[in-house]
Amino acid sequence: MAIISASSVEKVFRQPKRQAGFGGAIRSLFSREFTEIRAVDGISFAIEPGEAVGYLGPNGAGKSTMIKMMTGILVPSSGTVEVLGREPHSHRITNAAEIGVVFGQRSQLWWDLPVRDSFELNRHIYDIPAPRFADNLARLTAMLDMAFYIDRPVRQLSLGQRMRAEIAMALLHDPKILFLDEPTIGLDVVAKDTVRKFLAEVNRERGTTIILTTHDLVDIEEICPRLIMVDDGKLLFDGELKHLRTALGSRRRLKLEFGTDPGPITLKTAALVTDEGAAKHFLLESEQTSILDVLTELGSGHDLKDVKLEEPDIEEVIRTFYRNKAQTGAAP
Amino acid sequence: MKLAAYPAFTATAFQSRLAYRNQVWSGVFGELVFMFARIAIWTSVFSTVASSSVDGVTLPQMITYALLAGPVLYWDYSRLLRDIGTAVKSGDIAVYLLKPLLYPAYMLASHIGNFLFDLLTVTVPVAIIIAFTVGLVPPASLFHGFAFLAFWFLSFAMLFLLTAILGLAAFWLMTADSLDWFFNSIMTLLAGGIVPLWFFPGWLAAIAGNLPFAWVSYYPAAIYIGQLDPAQVLTAFVVGLLWFAVLLGFLLWIWARARHRLIVQGG
Repeated sequence: MAIISASSVEKVFRQPKRQAGFGGAIRSLFSREFTEIRAVDGISFAIEPGEAVGYLGPNGAGKSTMIKMMTGILVPSSGTVEVLGREPHSHRITNAAEIGVVFGQRSQLWWDLPVRDSFELNRHIYDIPAPRFADNLARLTAMLDMAFYIDRPVRQLSLGQRMRAEIAMALLHDPKILFLDEPTIGLDVVAKDTVRKFLAEVNRERGTTIILTTHDLVDIEEICPRLIMVDDGKLLFDGELKHLRTALGSRRRLKLEFGTDPGPITLKTAALVTDEGAAKHFLLESEQTSILDVLTELGSGHDLKDVKLEEPDIEEVIRTFYRNKAQTGAAP
Repeated sequence: MKLAAYPAFTATAFQSRLAYRNQVWSGVFGELVFMFARIAIWTSVFSTVASSSVDGVTLPQMITYALLAGPVLYWDYSRLLRDIGTAVKSGDIAVYLLKPLLYPAYMLASHIGNFLFDLLTVTVPVAIIIAFTVGLVPPASLFHGFAFLAFWFLSFAMLFLLTAILGLAAFWLMTADSLDWFFNSIMTLLAGGIVPLWFFPGWLAAIAGNLPFAWVSYYPAAIYIGQLDPAQVLTAFVVGLLWFAVLLGFLLWIWARARHRLIVQGG
């Protein structure tokens, strides 16, 4: 049974049109024109318990909107969202007790108080039994290396320390699902790494279902076997990261280096893209093609020095994809 | 969640205030300046009349009224207004929806924490200083003393409800700063915090005496110094309870509207 399911979910925001300048501001007081913004446009997916899913997309792709709908603080314009078998927004309080949420750009910690006090407050809010709370607190403190700052007020913490505390806070009540909206935003390399390793461990060891939005692919590579990619409110891809390349039609690159320029070469298994004479770059025609196929077709007798196969950088794939889309105005 | 979480919010609000201990001194100093200004005004008013009382109120009673209606009853509500306004403006209010709790109840719990902090660190010290330097009068009678305590509860509740309602209006007006101004000027006049209602022209006193603002400062302070007889006290209490029920209903309604707006419009 899916722990989260979305079917044909749409979210349309009505934003009042603002005209520029003071006159415009006055005019908008009297006439109300609205622009419709389709933040989520017919998205469906199902997530099983224990999965870790990365929700990826550029800014304004509707990632946070989707997270808000799953956590019950936003209601879909049409379609249905179900979390733990319930409609989240109409069961807000029951839902809230069973999920944990971290917003990278909003703090849930009490600014003026030591981290420990915020945790203590969560114990009351979620009514966590004392022994379990002590257990979880000890475990999370150790795993996230918080012992040296847990008694410092939140306002004195670095962003990395604060984010670790935010994540710990969201896990104290053993939620079944953990939602994270851009948890690594603004963190340095070391802090990002700690957070990623920790989340992967929580998912694998404790079986907590994790949904995280990000625009950092490394987050997904290290935490989430499954990737959901959206742009402009629409679903572009849902599946394993390693299949993304094929899905987006990007091919592996093969570089052949020769001792002397063998002259023009045409192959069925690979297409020539750049010819530098002694060095030739090809794109492999399909996922199934192996280097051996290419070399067999090429045959011997060419003064072949070196062969180099390059997997396309996934980030590059996505960047190219978005760039092409922006130019043509339609998804390929 | 259990109700036990709400006292925890009260304690948290109280503790948060301890982080800014220096504000205590400015709070005490500010209230003392305010009080001595009032005392100076009333002293000069009373010195211009031949008799020792104006409208049946003596100068010491008037000073006691000023202390109660000012620092004691009309305390620093603006923190609550600002907190709600900021939460609405920044969108942080969504964070409260992510937790299994009722936001207005959370607001009340932290408001109580702030109230207790201000009571202990500002109000009581100021009252003691005024009592020893200028002098204060005891309640008019035992009845009036107890009635004052009951009205104090009502005053606290009224001020909370009015402020919370106004704070949530930020959902539609997108600013709480101008509301603070607006509210403060209305309160200054209609709550009787500066000038008691018995000095108002009859028609204005009749209007103000029936608006909820009067329960914040005027009724409790006037009852303490014995300006209302027991029958009037009871009537005022019943009307006050009615206003309390109306405002409570209104707060819950406006919160439901605000929440609806939040989950539909995203804030």
